Amino acid sequence: MIAARTINFTLNGAPVTADVKPHHNVVELLQAQFGLTGARETCGQGLCGCCTVIVNGLAVSGCLYLASFIDGAEVVTVESLDAGGKLSPVQEAFIETSAFQCGFCTPGFVLMVTQLLDEHPDPSDDQIKHYLTGNLCRCATYPEVMQAVKLAAKKRKGA
Amino acid sequence: MAKITQDAAKVGAQVGRSVPRLEGRDKVTGRAEYTHTMRVPGMLHAKLFRSTVAHGRIKSVDTSAAKKVPGVVAVITIDDVRKVIPDPYYGPAFHDQPILADGKVRFVGEPVAAVLSFDPHIADEAVQLITAEYEELPAVFDEVDALTSKVYVHDVLKPAGTFADLKHLKNAKDTNMALDYRLRRGDFDKAYAAAAHKFEHEFKTQKVLHLPFEPHATIADYKDTGVTLHTASQGPSFVRTEIARLLGWQENKVRIKVPYLGSGYGGKLYIKLEALALALSMIARRPVKVALTFEELFYQITKHPCTFRIKSGVDKDGKIVARKCEVYWNGGAYADIGPRVTQKSGLTASGPYDIDNVWIDSYALYTNVTPSGALRGFGVPQLVWAYESHTDMMARELKLDPVEFRRKNIMREGGEHTTTHILKDAACEKAMDTVLERMNWSKPFDKGKGVIRRGRGFGVAIKAVITPTTSVAIVNVSADGSVALYCGTVDMGQGSDTAMAQMVGEVLNIQAESVRVVQRDTDVTPYDMGTLGSRSLFHMGHAVKRAAEDAREKLKALAREVGEPEGSNIPIRELFVKRYGMQAGNVIGSGIFKPDYIPPAPGTGLSKNVTAFWMVSSAGAEVSVDTETGHVKIDKLVNVVDCGKPINPRIVETQISGGATMQLGFTMFEKMHLDGGQVTNASLADYKIPGFHDTPTVMENVALEVFQSNGPFGAKGVGEVATFCVSPAIANAIDDAVGVRLTELPLNPEAVYRAIRAKAGKPLEDE
Amino acid sequence: MIPFDLAEPKSLSEAIKLLDPDDATVRPIAGGTALMLMMKAGVFRPQKLVSLRKIESKYSGIVASHDGLRIGAMTTLGVIERSAEVRKHAPVITRTMITLSNVRVRNVATVGGALAHGDPHMDLPPVLMALGATITIVGPKGERSLALEDLFSGYYETTLEKNELIAEVHVPSQGPKKAAYMKVTTGSADDWPALGVAVVMEADGKAIKSARVVVSAATTKATRMKSAEAALAGKTVDDKVLAQAGDAAAEDAEILADVRGSVPYKRELIRVYVRRAVRAAIDGQGAH
Repeated sequence: MIAARTINFTLNGAPVTADVKPHHNVVELLQAQFGLTGARETCGQGLCGCCTVIVNGLAVSGCLYLASFIDGAEVVTVESLDAGGKLSPVQEAFIETSAFQCGFCTPGFVLMVTQLLDEHPDPSDDQIKHYLTGNLCRCATYPEVMQAVKLAAKKRKGA
Repeated sequence: MAKITQDAAKVGAQVGRSVPRLEGRDKVTGRAEYTHTMRVPGMLHAKLFRSTVAHGRIKSVDTSAAKKVPGVVAVITIDDVRKVIPDPYYGPAFHDQPILADGKVRFVGEPVAAVLSFDPHIADEAVQLITAEYEELPAVFDEVDALTSKVYVHDVLKPAGTFADLKHLKNAKDTNMALDYRLRRGDFDKAYAAAAHKFEHEFKTQKVLHLPFEPHATIADYKDTGVTLHTASQGPSFVRTEIARLLGWQENKVRIKVPYLGSGYGGKLYIKLEALALALSMIARRPVKVALTFEELFYQITKHPCTFRIKSGVDKDGKIVARKCEVYWNGGAYADIGPRVTQKSGLTASGPYDIDNVWIDSYALYTNVTPSGALRGFGVPQLVWAYESHTDMMARELKLDPVEFRRKNIMREGGEHTTTHILKDAACEKAMDTVLERMNWSKPFDKGKGVIRRGRGFGVAIKAVITPTTSVAIVNVSADGSVALYCGTVDMGQGSDTAMAQMVGEVLNIQAESVRVVQRDTDVTPYDMGTLGSRSLFHMGHAVKRAAEDAREKLKALAREVGEPEGSNIPIRELFVKRYGMQAGNVIGSGIFKPDYIPPAPGTGLSKNVTAFWMVSSAGAEVSVDTETGHVKIDKLVNVVDCGKPINPRIVETQISGGATMQLGFTMFEKMHLDGGQVTNASLADYKIPGFHDTPTVMENVALEVFQSNGPFGAKGVGEVATFCVSPAIANAIDDAVGVRLTELPLNPEAVYRAIRAKAGKPLEDE
Repeated sequence: MIPFDLAEPKSLSEAIKLLDPDDATVRPIAGGTALMLMMKAGVFRPQKLVSLRKIESKYSGIVASHDGLRIGAMTTLGVIERSAEVRKHAPVITRTMITLSNVRVRNVATVGGALAHGDPHMDLPPVLMALGATITIVGPKGERSLALEDLFSGYYETTLEKNELIAEVHVPSQGPKKAAYMKVTTGSADDWPALGVAVVMEADGKAIKSARVVVSAATTKATRMKSAEAALAGKTVDDKVLAQAGDAAAEDAEILADVRGSVPYKRELIRVYVRRAVRAAIDGQGAH
């Protein structure tokens, strides 16, 4: 059997340690060892975005990212966005525009939209569509997500 | 402040308000619970070894190497299952599906063995080491072939006994037909023979699937004293009944818990992984989780492919006088709910048209592919695709305006539906007219020139809700005045929890946001037939309304009991204190609803009361066609539905938009490719679904202002209705743009391009 | 995924030593986005992966000089997408990135991986080939340089030895050349391409001096369409010249059928899109 190795990384701001095997991916690690289920494996191919996590400031597909590779990294998950019990502007906007149905893809969308607005505080429709190409919603809430992004952009400017 | 003097007639404070969804916060923070990401202490993971042949006798299954993998707890086949469940067959319409393949395999991907381990990767590794030998048998794949084929998917048919119209199929042999529904109205043959114009077309739909983003998952925790299943199911009550039957237990020892669903669309109905999880947990005597990967969804359940042969006779004035519908439903290897799809959609196969002479034959057929079930419309989108394409083709050939042709034939309020049911609260013409208005149909339309050609089209459709079905609800008022609702409707994204809470709030005059909707748990939440077929808002809505009214009457009685004057607005909390001397006690209201119904008469399929309500929709599309490549761009899609009074207008809008976009995928490109029964594109890389760039440039979603007179607060369901007309509206628009008619879905670029070339007399070679 | 071992060497030379020329179950992994797919599908079952993520930092980064760009093989597509130097020297690459897979994949996938994988559906290889890129390959016997067009030998096949690694990509400056990449999908808009067409031309207005035309995705490998290039060289663009180039490419391409289209249909797509790509490049529209 292949031995586990110990990795150290920062998870939502706190230093943590985990034992991982080479074939474990980040989604499994977060779910099994940290009880964080906001990142989920759906398509398993980096196409749907349900597994989105932020590694060293960049969005990645947790289902295609070996857990070993986050040794020493800063990892941020959707669970950090409402720190202190306050929803982020993006989360508020998703609720106010009803930009979700079943909610399974929603954490991934919320994280990607947060990244999008960090990069483009006032995005055009085209920028939104291109940035979110890799986030699919089988309930097809795309028009509502478009509205949520615009509302969130406004909220962030006001904040 | 809560008052008990609320008059239910004062509609509007809660119902009709776009209440933000109750579960929103849990969903946007990633904290909503789903079965697929759930863990219970001590649980094993199951991974499945699946058939590689479409039809075969199992000669041997070799599990020895898998058993030797360190970390493997057990490798299980049907022989092991039989020791704990002697008759290991399940299904809603037929008890035809074995928990694991039993002597035969009937489709590629059918589970043959299961490996249990605490580590899912070890289970995966062990699955790779299992081998099986099959004696391959001839297979049948096509639904039309299946009717006459000498290849039989099942040796003997085993109807479940639930449905009266299947009883005659008990022990039937040498057939693949799992139901033949027929409707006979007037004299088709005679009227058709006499008709001035005769039309005959055949339409096909492809195999597509639900692809819920939370793939199917069940955790079974068996104890000799009772079993608990955590499962991603749209029908916890049915699961309980079926699990109890398999165990030979009373239902009260079976507990089904359903958290939020990462969607369903019909794919998580009736019984799916639950029987297998149960068996594995019984054998392991531990909790066992069976959770599918995305790829495995292609071997679980799909929509029915369909062949629809339609004939119409039209008189010299453009009135349709005769119609014959032969509908073949490709049910796959196990019937699932296919026979109900066959019957319940079959009865509206002739469309929203007033036709005196109608003949409908609708056949559920077994084939050697992944089973088919309900998918957002219970068969109706397949039918509408055919009959609304057919309508346009006739109008075109008769040189009649497609609007006027429909207007001459459309069913109207107070008229007879084909089944003889008098049509009520079905705004067919109004839906169509609203689409036409939104599309500026009477204004000149730019058809484009050069390479890009533009066109527009529309369609109109009707569906009968599945009837009769039962729902039960409980409303619990606690001594602090707070209210909890117990109902079995599963919120899989359609927003039912919020809508039900609004109904409770409306009756009890409290904020919908303050109502707690209890998670589905059959130990707690009462019976419901299932979250399916757009039935919940109507049926469960009635039950919820009645439960809330019952609670309200009991609160009034309580007020009288403590000496409050009639019309008192004493806060509920104080009422309990007055009665029980402290904050104590409960008021429990309950409600049950089952609509009236007359089953279709045997032989004719006719009934004066065939459905609790009608669903109606219309859609219009404007498209641009690239004549050099066949690419079709949807410039505009208008969807208009009659969903009665919207309880939550925003949620209704998202249901319309979501349903239409899902159908857009089924229309334009989604297709499960099969080669000799093998799925060749079982992944999201190769089976594409609509993304951001695939949504129409302009999309309008309209709920008509109509009132469902027998609905709770005038409402009815909206989950499926926006899917109905998308496919024919687009096909009709493509015909308008480039003069080609596609009769098979999907309308992908190659199909369109080939049709353009064929029309130009320069057909593209096949391969 | 089934269990495997993972090595994380600190240098490129160490990584090469860990690779085994005769053992296909030992493979290098960079970003891993493509390899993970093969592993999850069970198409590739490694005994050991050799991660390149900890090798010398000089292999990730972009250096611009007068004659073009040197891009370290471990540079992620996201870094290339955001690079001002890339935008300046080869704007067609920057434009291609917008529709290349998605943000998360671009943040992780490396240019070396995108080339070494030999997948004909990738968007970057045809663009780099059309630009005339060369690669530096390092193996046990040292370095060698190779024109990118000589890397691909078949469907998911390259001329790399199992113990060779791409170290660097050299991309000549686009300069005044006109370029375009068109990605054609036949499923959803975000699908893998059914066809990719890259063109890079020296042209004065509509007068083409020379052209490089590369077709991918529809074909077994990214392929230069030399007959189309010949049809364009020395010609002034008009409908007839465009049609000749499209026809030439359509005739020459070795096409594969799959769920995205049949051979005859993809042939028609090539015919149309070679034409459209040349037109777009001449018109300065860049990418589709």
